[in-house]
Amino acid sequence: MPLPDYIKKQYKKTRTLHGNWYLMNYKYKFNLSRTKVFLKGLKDGVCLGLKCRSCNTVSFPPRLICGRCLVMPDQWVRLPETGTIATGSATYEADDKNRERPLPVIAVRQDGADTIWLHNMPKDIDFHSVYIGMPVKAVWAKERTGSWFDIDYYDALEDPAVELNKKEQEK
Amino acid sequence: MKMERVGIVGYCQLKPELDMMMSPYEAIYSAVRGALDSAGLKRKDITTVVTCTNDYYDGKTISNCFKVEAGGAYMKDETKVEMDGAHAAAYGQYRILSGNHKLAMIYGFSMPSCYLYEPVRILELDPTFDRTISLINSYTAGGMQMRAYMKAFGVSEEEIAKVAVQGYKNSAKNPLALPDVKKSDISVQDVLNSEVLSSPLRELMYPIPCDGATAMILAPERQSLKITDTPVWITGMGQCQETYYLGDRDLSKSVSMEKAAEKAYKMAGISDPKSEIDVAELFGHTSCEELILAEAAKLAENGKGATLLDSGSALNPSGGAMSAFTPCACGLTRIVEAAKQLRGEADEYQVSGAKKAIASGQVGFCAQNSILFVLEGGG
Repeated sequence: MPLPDYIKKQYKKTRTLHGNWYLMNYKYKFNLSRTKVFLKGLKDGVCLGLKCRSCNTVSFPPRLICGRCLVMPDQWVRLPETGTIATGSATYEADDKNRERPLPVIAVRQDGADTIWLHNMPKDIDFHSVYIGMPVKAVWAKERTGSWFDIDYYDALEDPAVELNKKEQEK
Repeated sequence: MKMERVGIVGYCQLKPELDMMMSPYEAIYSAVRGALDSAGLKRKDITTVVTCTNDYYDGKTISNCFKVEAGGAYMKDETKVEMDGAHAAAYGQYRILSGNHKLAMIYGFSMPSCYLYEPVRILELDPTFDRTISLINSYTAGGMQMRAYMKAFGVSEEEIAKVAVQGYKNSAKNPLALPDVKKSDISVQDVLNSEVLSSPLRELMYPIPCDGATAMILAPERQSLKITDTPVWITGMGQCQETYYLGDRDLSKSVSMEKAAEKAYKMAGISDPKSEIDVAELFGHTSCEELILAEAAKLAENGKGATLLDSGSALNPSGGAMSAFTPCACGLTRIVEAAKQLRGEADEYQVSGAKKAIASGQVGFCAQNSILFVLEGGG
């Protein structure tokens, strides 16, 4: 249906005004009480998870509040360096010849933890070989400074289950 | 039309501070946890959560999405109001009256120490004219409103300064007031000698934005009586939105509050608000606005708002917005303060024999949108 004339007239009368829709300087406040312990643990080469005493959920990295119980968890547990891949995707990085190279971005569930965190895989890994449930192990950075990337990346562990499952399917 | 009663069963108000040493996450958690504890409830009892935060005040869009765990909304029905805390309370009330929810957690929060309150308010303006000429802001709007009020009813600056003084004196008795405004020995002359923000509005007639969080729990009538012996009932509520343009309004009075009050009183069956209302907790953005709102709520004749102070009437016994002005939570705090009065929990500033109270919230320049609640005490 064609537009009535009076609306067409309104269209002609419309002008666009340029403006900024910005936010002023903003300060973000954080609570460091849990993060500090977690990062210090990474510096010392220890994976520390935070356990809620009420529902036994272990968060790694630590969460300030357990949403399920509405309490502040305060029990630390030491976690192994191994984990499994909960899910993953790829990001793309330009290499020396200016070609795009896929890099896997993985969500790791540390063994013994209920939450996941995002991390790297080694740069030379073929990202097609990454699958959900793949066992991985943390590789520590040479110089640890107390940051998220004190775990340099997660390296793939040998997984005999893949071959076994394949054989099972072929039967 | 008589409305089914909704009960206020628990609340918690964080101690306001100019620069709170708490993360937003933690502040909301403390308020929500405190409200649940005050009512003796558990998180699993909550069925719906209504939050009042503002994207601009939080420095991120969808400001409620990051506060799910802290607000007790994990895996629950949750929604946000980006106005005043009192509007969130109204939203919670609607949800309860719909019959689908048994317990509504309402909280309002903001942290003005993280952003500049006045410049952010400028983003509220019409971008084509008002913002480009940059003449309107909260100060000038307050100044224009005050001059209009003074001219229309022949009120003097002293009378409005008296309201501010009363606000500071009441704040001194309120343990949850900002320490900076607890001035029990302030005089009218001090207010009149303070710096001019926008003539005739003075610095001491304008509240200081401060960090804080307030949480409140609403429940339907039957549920409320199971939870507590002393629920406070919401018996009436009215809301009205005026035009944005300041020039189209008569700034000497608040038509939005008049209409909101009319609806609320009708719902609560109040015919003579002057004699029936024992406590009024009104959220006025300036001392002058407090008077305008009180007059619009029919507590006094137009232009005679200042006489409320002489007659010892309980206008803002907690100190009102003067005591702690937390954007997004101030209206909710007013409801909580009114509920405290009705429950007899306001120790030093308790109004004796308070049975019916009103509490208001507002949003926009010169109270563009007003909302009024009528509360009644006694199980």
